[in-house]
Amino acid sequence: MAAYLSMGEAHRRIGDYLSRVVDAISSSDGAALASLFAVSAPDSTLLSDALAAFPDFPRLAGDRFPHLADLLVPLLRAIHSHSLQRFADAYSSFEKAANAFLQEFRNWETPWAMEAMHTVALEIRLLAEKADRELAMTGKNPDKLQAAGSFLMKVFGALAVKGPKRIGALYVTCQLFKIYFRLGTVNLCRSVIRSIETARNFDFEDFPVKDKVTYMYYTGRLEVFNENFLVADQKLTYALMHCNPQSESNLRRILKFLIPVKLSIGVLPKRTLLERYNLLEYADVMTSLKRGDLRLLRQALDRHEDQFLKSGVYLVLEKLELQVYQRLVKKIHIIQRQKEPAKAHQIKLGVVVKALKWLEIDMDVDEVECIMACLIYKNLIKGYFAHKSKVLVLSKQDPFPKLNGKPV
Amino acid sequence: MAEPAKPEVTEEAKMDLLEDDDEFEEFEIDQEWDDKEEGNEALQQWEDDWDDDDVNDDFSLQLRKELESNAPKN
Repeated sequence: MAAYLSMGEAHRRIGDYLSRVVDAISSSDGAALASLFAVSAPDSTLLSDALAAFPDFPRLAGDRFPHLADLLVPLLRAIHSHSLQRFADAYSSFEKAANAFLQEFRNWETPWAMEAMHTVALEIRLLAEKADRELAMTGKNPDKLQAAGSFLMKVFGALAVKGPKRIGALYVTCQLFKIYFRLGTVNLCRSVIRSIETARNFDFEDFPVKDKVTYMYYTGRLEVFNENFLVADQKLTYALMHCNPQSESNLRRILKFLIPVKLSIGVLPKRTLLERYNLLEYADVMTSLKRGDLRLLRQALDRHEDQFLKSGVYLVLEKLELQVYQRLVKKIHIIQRQKEPAKAHQIKLGVVVKALKWLEIDMDVDEVECIMACLIYKNLIKGYFAHKSKVLVLSKQDPFPKLNGKPV
Repeated sequence: MAEPAKPEVTEEAKMDLLEDDDEFEEFEIDQEWDDKEEGNEALQQWEDDWDDDDVNDDFSLQLRKELESNAPKN
């Protein structure tokens, strides 16, 4: 609830805010400037009450600091609209202010204002999301997040150059990733990734750790989509290794993608890990691999289908089927060996059919032969067929090669 | 003379509408942590030698029974 505010008091508060912005710029105080740009921060109510009480604030800003009017006027408008929860208006004003700030930022030789630039990058993304929600709810075209992406590409261009500003480029990259993942336009990540990873004169390790972790999380997820499981493993493991150990929710997000990647290269998480991070949706998948239980794998995929599809790991998990087949044939082999060691290397396809039937999978001998051929081709089984007698003859040496960290 | 009360902030409720669970949470701008070489405990929670020859678990025992039965299964 806003208390009564005299015009004089409102005028004073607005003037005070403007002076603080101008002072922060003239004294190159990046942290102070950053906090003044946090338009959606909850502690801006004093100022927004003043803006509501003094509608002529644009003129006040323009008259007092004409040289910075392009920045200050839309900035005040953005704060004002935001406080009224008119987010599309707030976004449009903030984008104007952000462009004016970028203009200034380009002219400063040192990166003193990096923290403020980063606040602008974060705020424009958050504002755009709110604006798009508002636009969608009123039946209009939600195009602000895309616009924020275009603005941040300009910022990226100003930072990803040779020189001291480059250290701030990775943060902006991460904001862009968040936008592209949300909009479903992840292919747009490619050009920024190329620019980050091919830089000769800047070592990736010199970026701030929080940005490196975020970057590796998103690029790791991209590699999951592209089914490059080895690279995905490296990137997500890096993220896991360097993530803030206090940040439970982010560790969980990393693991959510790292677990299917590890499973696909034959490495299993311990049950305690799933429990610790509440990722029990993977428990049955894991058990199915250990047992060779194809029925359980199908049940687990069915049960969590929506969730797995939404995160984009469904296809990765579906491909585990071949490993589960391998495990099942191996178990049949061991059971046979205990009973009749001399014939243990010959597995009748009819026996596999029987085991599958027990697991409620209806397949005839020809279909099973096809699957076994696939397992041999993928080097999950070493052996050959005696086609006529419908027998799979296993190699005497290492008939079930382990993946040892290699993808199928 | 008082201004009319502003509507309660409902941003948070709206934010939930299009929430993306997999979006990485922002680390605070000045957040720092001890980036140890050994990394955190989650790195040790994996096993790659699970593929053993043990067939005494329930699943394997049932499988054995199934394979040894000659009667066709309904």
